[in-house]
Amino acid sequence: MATSFTSSISMQPRFSQATTTRFSLQKPVPVFKTNLSFTLRPRSMPARLAISCAAKQETVEKVSEIVKKQLSLSQDQKVTAGTKFTDLGADSLDTVEIVMGLEEEFGITMAEERAKEIATVQQAAELIEELVLEKTA
Amino acid sequence: MQRSFSIELPSLVPLQLPSRMETHLWYILPDEVKNTSLLKHYSQLLSPSEKDKVVRMRGNVLKKNALLARTLVRTTIARYQTNNAVDPRSLMFKKNMYGKPEVDWQNHKNCNNPPLHFNLSHTDSLIACGVTVHVPVGIDVEDKERKIKHDVLAFAKRFYSTDEVNFLSTIPDPEVQRTEFIKLWILKEAYVKALGKGFSATPFNTFTIQSKAGTEGGYNLRETSEMAVNSLEETKKCNGEWKFALLELADSHYAAICIEDDQASEESPMRVIVRKTIPFVEDELISESKLL
Repeated sequence: MATSFTSSISMQPRFSQATTTRFSLQKPVPVFKTNLSFTLRPRSMPARLAISCAAKQETVEKVSEIVKKQLSLSQDQKVTAGTKFTDLGADSLDTVEIVMGLEEEFGITMAEERAKEIATVQQAAELIEELVLEKTA
Repeated sequence: MQRSFSIELPSLVPLQLPSRMETHLWYILPDEVKNTSLLKHYSQLLSPSEKDKVVRMRGNVLKKNALLARTLVRTTIARYQTNNAVDPRSLMFKKNMYGKPEVDWQNHKNCNNPPLHFNLSHTDSLIACGVTVHVPVGIDVEDKERKIKHDVLAFAKRFYSTDEVNFLSTIPDPEVQRTEFIKLWILKEAYVKALGKGFSATPFNTFTIQSKAGTEGGYNLRETSEMAVNSLEETKKCNGEWKFALLELADSHYAAICIEDDQASEESPMRVIVRKTIPFVEDELISESKLL
């Protein structure tokens, strides 16, 4: 499948430590000056990758702390922006408690429908920043 | 789709289908499954995407439980196809338009059994699968000792309906309050999962579940409208449509089951057959299931 990669190349580094998405070009394209070969695997590419602004690292870290506390994980358990709560063993009750912990920490209120959609640390951090911004606007 | 495997899997013992208004509840205790070659057999049953999910789980306990969960679903459903033996590896799954998993029977057109419904739930120490025919089912299980890290009433006020908050706030003992909170949680989860429309369609504060006075294990479901002015209009009974059961499993867990009652058989309680299992090894019928 021929696809244009011109816009996706620049945002790839943000998520490279959290996901294993690999990219490959079907044909060599003169525009790319690197030797990297990429295979686009649509299944593993989150749609949000293309349009969202990544949340601040500070927010991501605070969210990770709260998640670790709620799930009673050890401090050295690796939790990054791309980590899904379910991969850490969180069930729906955990997710809701995580949301309450985040609300307390950041002084915000998340509508239940949006809170239930949060699946990763990154998504939580982005929603938090959006709500904090609205609050201070 | 034929896949060849070097290790021959033992055959699965077939099962009688559940009757109408009956739920079969199967559960595995992960701590009882330690045999590594058995676990290896199980991993051969999984599809590539299921294996991916197992790999994604952090830590060996979570990986094992994810493996057991998929094994439980595949082997249990395969066993109900009493007319033609179905290879659990060949089962395919899809999601309904709201994301609820269901069996995709496209490869098994010869199956003339009535439509099977299933729903899965698990905690760290127990994995359960509910099975029904004709009607959708939702289940949720929780460790009886599960601690809530927030204040239970604050939690309830945030998410539950007004009537449920009132019920919880009349309970003086905080331990009892905690367990009643958990029972309500799993009943509500079971309903949302049975409905299969996802949380956005059914926020927790839009419906109330309460136990029917004077019956063993009966529960009422009411929709609540926070916007209603007149309290008579406020609750719309949708009682004849859903049945609930709440029980204790293995002395350690609460399990809630919700099924659609399409025949409005209001008075008869749900029959639940509970069996503990180790796939390919043994089933144990649990005859004394405490209905709560």
